[in-house]
Amino acid sequence: MTNRQRNTGLVALAVATVFFILPFLFTFFMAVKTKKEAALLLFSWPSEWHFWANLVEVVQARNYMLLLAYFNSTVITVGAVTLLVIFGAMVGYVLQRRPSGWNKLIYACVLLGLMVPPAVVPTIWVLQGLGLFKTIHGMILIQVAYGLAFSVLLYRSFIATIPRDLDEAAIIDGAKPWAIFRKVILPLLKPVTVTLIVVQSIAIFNDFTNPLYYLPGKENVTVQLTLFNFQTQFQSQFNLLFMNILLVTIPPLLVFVFFNRQIVAGMTSGAVKG
Amino acid sequence: MSSVRLKSIRKSFGAVDIIKGVDLTIEDGEFCVFVGPSGCGKSTLLRMISGLEEATSGTIEIDGRDVTGEEPSKRGIAMVFQSYALYPHLTVRENVGFGLSLAKLPKEEIRKKVDAAAEALQLTHLMDRKPKALSGGQRQRVAIGRAMVRDPKVFLLDEPLSNLDAALRAQMRIELSDLHAKLGATMIYVTHDQVEAMTMADKIVVLNGGQIEQVGSPMELYNAPVSAFVAGFIGSPKMNLYEGAAAEGLGCRTYGIRPEHLTLTADAPRWTGTVRHVERLGADTVIYLVVPGMGDMVVRTGGDANPEIGSSQGVSPVPGREFRFG
Repeated sequence: MTNRQRNTGLVALAVATVFFILPFLFTFFMAVKTKKEAALLLFSWPSEWHFWANLVEVVQARNYMLLLAYFNSTVITVGAVTLLVIFGAMVGYVLQRRPSGWNKLIYACVLLGLMVPPAVVPTIWVLQGLGLFKTIHGMILIQVAYGLAFSVLLYRSFIATIPRDLDEAAIIDGAKPWAIFRKVILPLLKPVTVTLIVVQSIAIFNDFTNPLYYLPGKENVTVQLTLFNFQTQFQSQFNLLFMNILLVTIPPLLVFVFFNRQIVAGMTSGAVKG
Repeated sequence: MSSVRLKSIRKSFGAVDIIKGVDLTIEDGEFCVFVGPSGCGKSTLLRMISGLEEATSGTIEIDGRDVTGEEPSKRGIAMVFQSYALYPHLTVRENVGFGLSLAKLPKEEIRKKVDAAAEALQLTHLMDRKPKALSGGQRQRVAIGRAMVRDPKVFLLDEPLSNLDAALRAQMRIELSDLHAKLGATMIYVTHDQVEAMTMADKIVVLNGGQIEQVGSPMELYNAPVSAFVAGFIGSPKMNLYEGAAAEGLGCRTYGIRPEHLTLTADAPRWTGTVRHVERLGADTVIYLVVPGMGDMVVRTGGDANPEIGSSQGVSPVPGREFRFG
């Protein structure tokens, strides 16, 4: 390693530390402070460690609201990501493999889904009309609608790299279209599926605004909305707020740590070439 | 095992005619090779027999049954692809048994059939590997195994050897011929390599521009080509073909003489040319001459000949081996 390489490496590390580690450290220090000390909002070493006490208080707040929020968020995330994977792969497959006059129109719709910003009030009208407003499954469908365009595009371009010979070999072997998709194509989509699961589940789990608009109600609370528990107009409990942030950050971190290895494995396996 | 009959098959993609009316009968148990330059429609014809491509008009009969509108899996055919098209996520065993498991055969029966095919193709020790852990020749054998277990009436092979290196290709040619003899199945084989066609075929179908140019046994095509196209396509090195003034001087539109039917002679030669290049292959020597008034002329002669480049050589055709077309 030359000096220059080492120096650029050190600079890169320092920058990464500032951007990624310091906010996390700040959160952690705030989370273990007392209410008074936290209110100063200083980046300082805590004078007293109140980790466990703060943790218990956050979990117990408002009749264990955080646990309900974990449950709701998990249901929404798992439901929405499952539907995104299934529909994204199916639409991507048909769009890529079966050329027809409709494809251009469908493709345009998919692109519109990426480009047009969602309008909140009309969406709420539609949800109310369908009886889906303030329901968990309504929220799941909203997340699917927002994420589907991206997953269709991702799957479509990945399926384009799978040789068509495989489909034809399966046809000769007597596979019907559904069997081709399920037994030949879907297993080969594993790398892109893992990517999609990571990206979408973190996005949906951490979503703050959409549940805020479309999922009001105490029993419908999601994890990001529990942050309001400790911040009101007249009083903020920053130590508990940051402890809450810390707890909310853990599940996405686990998802990433768990799947990260598989993403890399998927990218290096070269699973597509026969 | 059964015959295949094509009746005035046509195929167009939009306004472009790919296959322009093909009538052909392939007998039961025959090894039939479709050969021709790229774009002549040989692969399209094979895909139409398989059912992957629909015929624009005409009928296809397999075993006396009209299968023109049938699905590929109902035609009693199996196909081996140029790219092998093995399922990358399945083991060799699962790859070979894929069609049987789709047909919901009992597990025990699938295992028996797959094992039998594996034995015939010497794949037994590779059964639990994934395709990416196999060599090219092994992948090829797996693809053939996948075709075999389906017990097809007709095997369709689409340039199956073109991804292999030369030595392996020669070996697989022999293995395929052995397999054909053992199974006694009807096989239709597409290639652009005339060596594969000559060595393996019972019947060669030469295609050109979407039409059949000539059908016959390898030696029939070699000894009696009906056109300059067939003459130029069959045989290696290629036949010397002359058009225009050179051919008119010999009383025809196209004059052809094979390199192996030319002899070097100093005694009243028909032509005299200058040696441009010499390829010594050991058993044979291929000499490239430039003959005034004719152009390039390739001569194949014994391995001992070693003419100097730039020297003058006399050449005469073997009597009765000249071809005059048109």
